[in-house]
Amino acid sequence: MYFDFNVGENSHLANEASILGYKGIALIQSSKDFNGGKIEKLRKIEEDFLILSGVKIYAKNPEDMKKNIHKFRPKADVLIVNGGNIKINRAACEDPRVDILANTYKNRRGSGINHIIAKKAAENKVALEINLNQIIKTSSLFRTKILTNLREIIKLKHKFKFPLVTTSNASSIYDLRTPEDIITLLGFFGMTLQEANDSLSRYPLDILERNKIRRNTVQKGVRILK
Amino acid sequence: MKLKILPPTLRNKKRYIAFEAISATPLEKEDVISLVWESSLNFHGERETSKFNLWIMKIWYFGSSNDENIIKGIIQCNRNEIEAVRASLLLINKFKGKPVVFHTLGISGTIKAAIKKYIKLKDKHK
Repeated sequence: MYFDFNVGENSHLANEASILGYKGIALIQSSKDFNGGKIEKLRKIEEDFLILSGVKIYAKNPEDMKKNIHKFRPKADVLIVNGGNIKINRAACEDPRVDILANTYKNRRGSGINHIIAKKAAENKVALEINLNQIIKTSSLFRTKILTNLREIIKLKHKFKFPLVTTSNASSIYDLRTPEDIITLLGFFGMTLQEANDSLSRYPLDILERNKIRRNTVQKGVRILK
Repeated sequence: MKLKILPPTLRNKKRYIAFEAISATPLEKEDVISLVWESSLNFHGERETSKFNLWIMKIWYFGSSNDENIIKGIIQCNRNEIEAVRASLLLINKFKGKPVVFHTLGISGTIKAAIKKYIKLKDKHK
C-alpha cells in the first residue's frame, strides 16, 4: 500500500497515480488561496483508492503558523508546514497537530534540522518530507546540495527515529513515478529498502490513523469510543 | 578471424528492463539512447556507468493521445546494476524542453519473457 501525500490539485493525477500503483493521494492546496469546496468534490474515501484534501501552510513566523494550524486543522486530512526558517522548523516539530514538515533546507546552507528538532519531531510524530520533485527537476550543483541535505536528515533519522515521508509534489502526470522506482532511488542516499518502503507506506498510514483518533478526541487525553 | 564465443560461466550476466516512456514530443530510438545515457552519466558518473553495460534493445510505439506519446522498450544491463539503471531512468524529466517520464514496467531474464509479461504487444493492436 503506497501513498503520496503531496500532489497538486489536478484531478487527472488521481487516475494516473492509481495506474502507477498508489493506494491514495492527498491533493494539497496552499494556505494562501484555500478553497475547501474545490477539493471536497474530488475527495473520496473508499477502500480501493483514497483522495484526501491537504493544506500546505506558508507562514512568516511561528505565531502566524500556529494561527494557520488552528484554522486549517479541522478542514484538512493532511497538514503540511513549509519550513526553511529555523524558528518555523522548530515550532512545527513541537506541534503534534502538524503531520508533515516540508522543505526544511530551503534557502539554507545546512539541512535545517539539528538533534533537538529531530528529537522533538520523533516525540510529536511530525514527519519530515523527502521532496522527489526537487531531486528530479534540479541538476548538477543544486541536486548535489539537496542530496547532501537529505543524507544529513537520514543520518539524524537513524539516530532519533522520526518519521520520514516521501512525496512527489507533482503538478502534472510527468512528475509522478512508480513507488518501486522511488524505493530504488532512495536506496542510493543511505536509506535501507525497508526505510524507503516505510516512507511511502507505513508513515502515511500512521498519519491517517492519527487523524482518525484526532477526530474523536474531545480534549487532550479524552477520546470518544464508539 | 572471428573471436570464439566465451563460455557461459565467463559471460557477463544480463537482465532486461522493460520500460514505458510518456512524452510530449514523439521519441525516436536515438533520443531514448541519448536520454538514458545522459541521465546515467549525470547521476552516477563515468566510472559507475561503465559497469552497467547499457544497451537499448528495441522500442515499440504505443500510439498517442492528447499530447501524450507512449512508447515501450527494453534495456539490457548488467545483473548487479539493475537498481542503478532504474534510478537513472527515474531521473529523466526533459527532452528538448518538453516533459518526458520513464516508468519501469518490470525486470526479466530474457527478452521473450519481458515482451510477453510487460510490453504486451497484443495491447498495441487494439
